[in-house]
Amino acid sequence: MELFWLAAGTIVIGVFGCVAWFWGSNWVLDAIYPPRGQNAGDNIRRANQIRPWLFLGPAILFLGMYLVYPVIDSLWRSLHSSDGSRFVGVSNYTWAAGDEKFRESMLNNMLWLLVVPALSTFFGLIAAQLTDRIKWGNIGKSLIFMPMAISFVGAGVIWKFIYEYRGPDETQIGLLNWLVTRLGGDPQIWLTLIPWNNFFLMIVLVWIQTGFAMVILSAALRGIPEETIEAAILDGASPMQVFMKIKVPQIMGTIAVVWTTITIVVLKVFDIVFVMTNGQWGTQVLANLMYDWMFRGSPDYGRGSAIAMVLMLLVTPIMVWNIINARKELR
Amino acid sequence: MKTAFLTTAAVAALTAGLAQAQMVIEPGSDDRINWQSLEDFKAAHGDLEGQSFTILGPWLGEDQALFTSVLPYFEEATGAKANYSGSDSFEQQIVIDSEAGSPPDIAVFPQPGLAADLARKGHLTPLGEETAQWVRDNYAAGESWARLGSYAGADGAENFYAFPYKADVKSLVWYVPENFEDAGYEVPESYEDLKALTEQIAADGETPWCIGLGSGGATGWPATDWVEDLMLRLHSPEVYDAWTTNELPFNDPKVIAAIEEFGWFAKNDDYVAGGAAAVASTDFRDSPKGLFDFPPACYMHRQASFVPSFFPEGSEVGLDVDFFYMPAPADGSMGKPVLGGGTLFSVLSDNPAARAFVEFLKTPAAHEIWMTQKSFLTPHLGVDLEAYDSDTQKKLGQILLDASTFRFDGSDLMPGAVGAGAFWTAMVDYVGGKPAQDVADSIQNTWDTIK
Amino acid sequence: MEGMAGKRSSLSWAVNIAAFLLVLLWTIPTLGLFVSSFRDRDQIASSGWWQSFSASEQTGFVRTGTDDDARQEGGLYVIEGSVLEGDQQLVAWGTGARRPAEFQPGETARINDGWDLTVNADGSYRLTSAAPFEMRRGERIFTTTEVPPTITTANYQRVLTAEGLGRAFMNTMTVTIPATVIPILIAAFAAYALAWMQFPGRALLTAAVVGLLVVPLQVSLIPLLRLHNDLGIGKGYLGIWLAHTGFGLPLAVYLLRNYMVGLPREVIESARVDGATEFQIFRRIILPLSFPALASFAIFQFLWVWNDLLVATVFLGNTREQLVMTGVLRELMGSKGGEWEILATSAFISIAVPLIVFFAMQKYLVRGLLAGSVKGG
Repeated sequence: MELFWLAAGTIVIGVFGCVAWFWGSNWVLDAIYPPRGQNAGDNIRRANQIRPWLFLGPAILFLGMYLVYPVIDSLWRSLHSSDGSRFVGVSNYTWAAGDEKFRESMLNNMLWLLVVPALSTFFGLIAAQLTDRIKWGNIGKSLIFMPMAISFVGAGVIWKFIYEYRGPDETQIGLLNWLVTRLGGDPQIWLTLIPWNNFFLMIVLVWIQTGFAMVILSAALRGIPEETIEAAILDGASPMQVFMKIKVPQIMGTIAVVWTTITIVVLKVFDIVFVMTNGQWGTQVLANLMYDWMFRGSPDYGRGSAIAMVLMLLVTPIMVWNIINARKELR
Repeated sequence: MKTAFLTTAAVAALTAGLAQAQMVIEPGSDDRINWQSLEDFKAAHGDLEGQSFTILGPWLGEDQALFTSVLPYFEEATGAKANYSGSDSFEQQIVIDSEAGSPPDIAVFPQPGLAADLARKGHLTPLGEETAQWVRDNYAAGESWARLGSYAGADGAENFYAFPYKADVKSLVWYVPENFEDAGYEVPESYEDLKALTEQIAADGETPWCIGLGSGGATGWPATDWVEDLMLRLHSPEVYDAWTTNELPFNDPKVIAAIEEFGWFAKNDDYVAGGAAAVASTDFRDSPKGLFDFPPACYMHRQASFVPSFFPEGSEVGLDVDFFYMPAPADGSMGKPVLGGGTLFSVLSDNPAARAFVEFLKTPAAHEIWMTQKSFLTPHLGVDLEAYDSDTQKKLGQILLDASTFRFDGSDLMPGAVGAGAFWTAMVDYVGGKPAQDVADSIQNTWDTIK
Repeated sequence: MEGMAGKRSSLSWAVNIAAFLLVLLWTIPTLGLFVSSFRDRDQIASSGWWQSFSASEQTGFVRTGTDDDARQEGGLYVIEGSVLEGDQQLVAWGTGARRPAEFQPGETARINDGWDLTVNADGSYRLTSAAPFEMRRGERIFTTTEVPPTITTANYQRVLTAEGLGRAFMNTMTVTIPATVIPILIAAFAAYALAWMQFPGRALLTAAVVGLLVVPLQVSLIPLLRLHNDLGIGKGYLGIWLAHTGFGLPLAVYLLRNYMVGLPREVIESARVDGATEFQIFRRIILPLSFPALASFAIFQFLWVWNDLLVATVFLGNTREQLVMTGVLRELMGSKGGEWEILATSAFISIAVPLIVFFAMQKYLVRGLLAGSVKGG
């Protein structure tokens, strides 16, 4: 019970604290530069220069403390030896460049980046469009969304029941091998089939992320004004044309957001690989390699951090693209 | 020692003012347990009333319940409170906690490699030469156990940092006795017999072994146990020691011979259930089930003493299934080597209650209380073997005490990047078809890069 | 007109079927886990989950009684009993592990040393010998039986009655609710500033938020916990709320900003012309219009915090009093993690609350009417 009050208390204090900050700081600003009286114009201009920072303040504080600071910390560590005692320059990076596993991880990450965002967004869009048009849409949505709600460890077990291998004479308990043997084929050890095993792992992430794409895209689809669609239908456009030519272009911005978000999820993909293969059989990815170096056995934080920095650098093209986009919006 | 008088006195003292509900065995009630040792401990450390300390370890579920059943005896004797928490990502958490400056008071390491690393970074507190000497004197093969807990500290000086408590025996082959009887097979007495039996079973059109290396993120480790056991059967313990410290390179012909010896068992489609291709991906938790299939999918399974928890429900060890010591070469040149493992307790703070807890672990009672329950083995020479909960455990405990050579799991002694990384992966690659020379070279490469 | 209606209904059929196939494909894996959560460990390991609804053939063995159970009947020593339990049907039986189905029910087999064994279709067996039995353990009778499908709720009972689950549920709630609400509030204001306020560095700041999305959790754990320790926050609820807020913020700002940018410019401009302050615009116009985006992010953040174990163990600790639900469920699975059935059950128990949240939020996922009517061109 005590805990309940603690929880309730924090929610109240936390929420009201936030509200009080935003409301209070605005009030103070307006009190200092009142938007009326003789200097109204000047005051409004000045207040409007400060106001964005009041709105952004808490977010910047949190982002700085919880994300920027660790990034700087790992940059520092990536230039030092395993226990942080010695400056080693870029030797952790040169080590990575020559490391076989690191190269394999880079290559695999590229593969993931090509396949997963595309498939997830595609299926998410289809799912959003289909479930918005049928009576049992909400149930359908919930079922497609369900994988998102399952923990990664749970997902690992779910797919174990799909990919599990037993010898040719035994009862197959993996669905895929059961189907294959039913159709007269030989059971396969799916997770060790290089290079296809990478795709079997990707399917798991597509399966999870489609729910994410669907939820966001569905909200965007429903936001398209009815009039434009009705006008198109009256002009004789087929449903397919309405979808491709009217709806998709209208939500292009949202599609880009979904694509970007999933791309970043893919860059960080760790749990699926960790649980299912731990990067063996040629399935290593950067995030798992980083984990290996950071926490396995005798950890080398320098190398782990160097891998993390490379991983973070990979996001640069997306950032540039976003800057260009944001500039466009400004006009 | 255990006269009626002392026992009664112990009972009277121990039962004074405590919450007995937590105790699995009422103090004084079970005369297999050395209550006097607890009493002596209390006399020396009974002044910690109101203190508390934290223990972080890898045990969860049943193991956690068993370990925490020992704690009330310590709490009663000292008045201090012990808070255990288990984590499935223990390795990660102990690193984070100690680096960030909020370590537990005691950490329970399943692998000496990690403890050595934290000692080198200055996170562990030395337990003192006296405790090291105690281990040498009171544990069977005490010298190997003491060496296991001795590492170089931040200043480079060697010290004793980790107290071994709870051991595993790994050199075991599990089989179904009645399947052996039905088929007319004998339990092999020597390593040569074991290989002959393997050939004979295969010649009979049956499959001798179940081997599974799958273990999610740790896939490959069961093969490292195999190779270690075979190292001890092909070469002397000194070679083994040199191997674990890399004085003997990983790609030395001696090591390659051991890897290929493992391949003799695991890479032959006729010798393993599901064929050689299935070895790497079969989960180690599922692979012993083949022993219990009808007709049997295999006749033998090499695995450590923990494996019965993965046998089908209701199978009774000693009746439905049994084990034999993985035999040594017939000529006796290697003695009776035993491969094992264990957990090590380290102190990470200057909490006096935590230090007292290490003293508590020296008492025979701290071992016997767990022995009477389940899945606990100890090399402690002062315990009453009758305290083991079953004949099976007693037999296992005896193996530990009889070992002419006891060697700790080598992969746990190697640096983590090798023993909990490259070695695992390489064995998966080896079973997958790469030559032994190649995989040994790649392990040695990894080892070179971390020196 | 009629032609068009026909076309429309056939189209709606196609949509229904396509949707059904998609949903089915996405559900099958989870269904496997769901079915498995009602099976015991041996069943899971011995047959596929899709076979659990049909009667299955099982092989196993039963031990006969031993010397103590023998009685004398005429000149014979006899041990009797049954090899079946429950609703099993005997298909075949045998006496050796290699040929476990050698005999039909009703047949009599001669075992090595002059013993006769008969097993009948009803499962009763009769082992006879002229000489007294001498055995340490019962003789094995191998059986192939047909077992009707069985489901068990034992897994659910075990998980739901696990020690400390109630407490852990409260802990999880205490962590989750503030860790969901606070980042949304902070992010909403920041997103509004990034989307609709003019100030230098806006584009750069937006890109920085995208860049921060990619920071891997693992690199932040040690520096942040050290920071918490240095600041005196240590391990506790405050620390974990702050941590989750920090980790969730980039996605929240990014999603919300992109949504708010798409809101109709006219509404905001006209409000500004009318003399509304930025705060009023935010509260009266932006917040209500952004509800779908707020709701979607709330769902994701809730899910992420709910399923998290790593951040909780690092920033909250994992002693009995601090354990969250995922921690208790993990504990049940044991040190070596081989208990698939507990895992399956746990997954379904922990999925329940997020699904309720999803259902509750679903009606807010539809954009407000205003947005549609104004945007027009």
